[in-house]
Amino acid sequence: MQQAVMNAFQYSLFYLIFSLPLTLSYRTTKVINFAHANFITYGAYVAILLHGILGSNLMSLAVIVAFLLTGSIAVINNMLVFTPLQKRGSSPAIVMISSMGLWIAYKYLLYMITDIANYYTTKNFVSYGRITYSDVPRGSVGGIDFSQALVASLVAASLTVVLLYILLEKTKIGRAMRAVADNPSLAEISGIPRALIINLTWFICGGIVGVGGVIWTSFSGAITPEAGDSMILQVFTVGFIGGLVSLLRTGIGAVLIAAIENVGIAVLNAFFGIPVSFRPFLTFATLITTLIAFPPLGAGGGLPYRFLRRGSKK
Amino acid sequence: MALDMRAIALVIVALIIGLAAGYGIAAMIGGAATTVTVTPQKKVYSIGFTLPLSGELSSIGKVWEKVVQLAIDDLNKEVQAYGFNVEFRAVILDDSTVEEKALQNVQSFAQQGIKVVIGPAASAQVKVVKSYVDSNKIVLISPSSTAPTLAIPNDYVFRTVGSDAGQAKALAALAYQEGARKVVVFHRNDEYGKAFADFFESYFKEMGGTAIKLPYQTGLSDYASEVATLASKVQSEGADAVVLIAFDTDGANILSHAAESDILSSVRWFVSEGPHGAEELLSSTVGQFASKVKLFGTRPLFIANPLYEDFKNRMIQKFGVEPGVFSENLYDAVKLAGWAILRAGTYDGEAIRAALIEVAKTYYGPSGWTIFDSAGDKAQQDYGVWAIVPGGPKGYQFKDVGLYERGSIIFLEQAYS
Repeated sequence: MQQAVMNAFQYSLFYLIFSLPLTLSYRTTKVINFAHANFITYGAYVAILLHGILGSNLMSLAVIVAFLLTGSIAVINNMLVFTPLQKRGSSPAIVMISSMGLWIAYKYLLYMITDIANYYTTKNFVSYGRITYSDVPRGSVGGIDFSQALVASLVAASLTVVLLYILLEKTKIGRAMRAVADNPSLAEISGIPRALIINLTWFICGGIVGVGGVIWTSFSGAITPEAGDSMILQVFTVGFIGGLVSLLRTGIGAVLIAAIENVGIAVLNAFFGIPVSFRPFLTFATLITTLIAFPPLGAGGGLPYRFLRRGSKK
Repeated sequence: MALDMRAIALVIVALIIGLAAGYGIAAMIGGAATTVTVTPQKKVYSIGFTLPLSGELSSIGKVWEKVVQLAIDDLNKEVQAYGFNVEFRAVILDDSTVEEKALQNVQSFAQQGIKVVIGPAASAQVKVVKSYVDSNKIVLISPSSTAPTLAIPNDYVFRTVGSDAGQAKALAALAYQEGARKVVVFHRNDEYGKAFADFFESYFKEMGGTAIKLPYQTGLSDYASEVATLASKVQSEGADAVVLIAFDTDGANILSHAAESDILSSVRWFVSEGPHGAEELLSSTVGQFASKVKLFGTRPLFIANPLYEDFKNRMIQKFGVEPGVFSENLYDAVKLAGWAILRAGTYDGEAIRAALIEVAKTYYGPSGWTIFDSAGDKAQQDYGVWAIVPGGPKGYQFKDVGLYERGSIIFLEQAYS
């Protein structure tokens, strides 16, 4: 049971790193972005290719490269796909479907990259084992084992939360981001360079998720070009709990889903004999419950519910 | 005006010269054709392959892609040496280790008129494509589907590997002989995992042991939570070993997480053939864990077969990879398919099916004697024992250390000190 609690903690941190940017990007850009899964996978593959081809054991290097790469991918997606579609008046649903297209395209692009890398190194990149890094400490404090993944994700999650708080609350750029999120037209009229702010948001969000992907390589035992795919629905569940608007509630969602998936299933198995293979069901039952409890969130887009709430008070 | 007339005249002259030249060349070529007999066109036969190049068996699927290349090359050289003017071509499609994609692949082979398909890898996939190949008379040869539930006579599905009813016996014998009496069987919740676990349980019970089954959902990104539950199960039941029935990526993931657990590092581990050959298992995390828990696995293998050794060396020489699990079964499947097509004399499913049964009776390859039983599965299947030991370019390597013989395991060398 202690292991289950530790896993829950570890997963909360991962979900935090993956979901906070999802919420932040949605509320600023109004795009439900399924290509979010690619940020995780591409981040992980930056680490894998650095390790497999260049023999680098440095997580710090991978983190920097991954941030730049996945951040850039996010900006490119926005400039080449999302913005042109929105300019032509596409509905949020169409933009969302285009993001699904990007998701699949990037996945197979990565398969191609792994094939090419395999050709030159004869190493298998389609499924890669856990990486042990030389620049991340590990050890045990007070009987609790701090793995490299735990140390790294603890640092990354704390930094993400603190830096996002400072950025959004204390800086001019952050205030501009919030203004664009609250009312894009008004923000634009009052002289905020909306397009620039949106691109910047994408860069930061994509980058943070990429860093999470790097850390994932020190945790998972087998990373594939589909690593992000099987996680994206959990990440969305966490985001939906936060209404894709509230960063605080997204944080709560991360802890909740991690606890259900780890401690919840362990308790159900130990005391009620419910099979472990039931775990994915629990997650998605939570998703459905959340969606029903907060109906305006329907995945087709629409307004963040706080605007509707405000409107309905009239 | 005069210029125009001149231009037209020039064009006409050019046309006449061109016409004359064309006639001349045509006559020369035609003349040549009548004097020299042109060799008749090579007949090209396509063999369809639906392989797991992505998804949960991708690790080994990538190796298989190279096995296919080697086998098709060998087959072409062999049939040409016998004087057949034919060429076999591989049409390879990826099925992502997913049932529906395997079916789509087989359907698109059918549209291309391909009558012989090799693959898919997983039993769950074979189950899905079975009715389609039966009704369309397409000969399907899976080199790696082992679920005993698919041992069905008189169909178009053949398997160049024995069913897991045999392997479950070997794995049970291995676990029992190594001192395990109460084991938790941690298995994939699919066609392969469930059938394997059931057979294992019944054999292990017969020997006097206890097996507790614990299924896990497949296709997840990570299994940390499942492994934590496994640990508490092992602890609460007081089990002395874990039997893992897995594929590549899930198996490697589970073993990496188990390595972090004190409880799971203090019991023995016995593994099915699924994860064998996956490169992720050679990471230092899993390698050290294997030595600690004295991890052994079983796999279909005819050990000490000179043809297998030769095949293995050629794979290493040509592609720099060791053939992992089922590679030799795949190689033999390709050879059998080629010779069956030639023996049938016509590219027709029904004729090839009948020819395949006959060809397999007298063919002997890296996987041993390929004769089929009444259900179309490899009748003579031997099993080997594998371990993960230090050495090789990756730090750790797979090693075949023993074999299963008449109800017990014979170790040929000591794997762990």
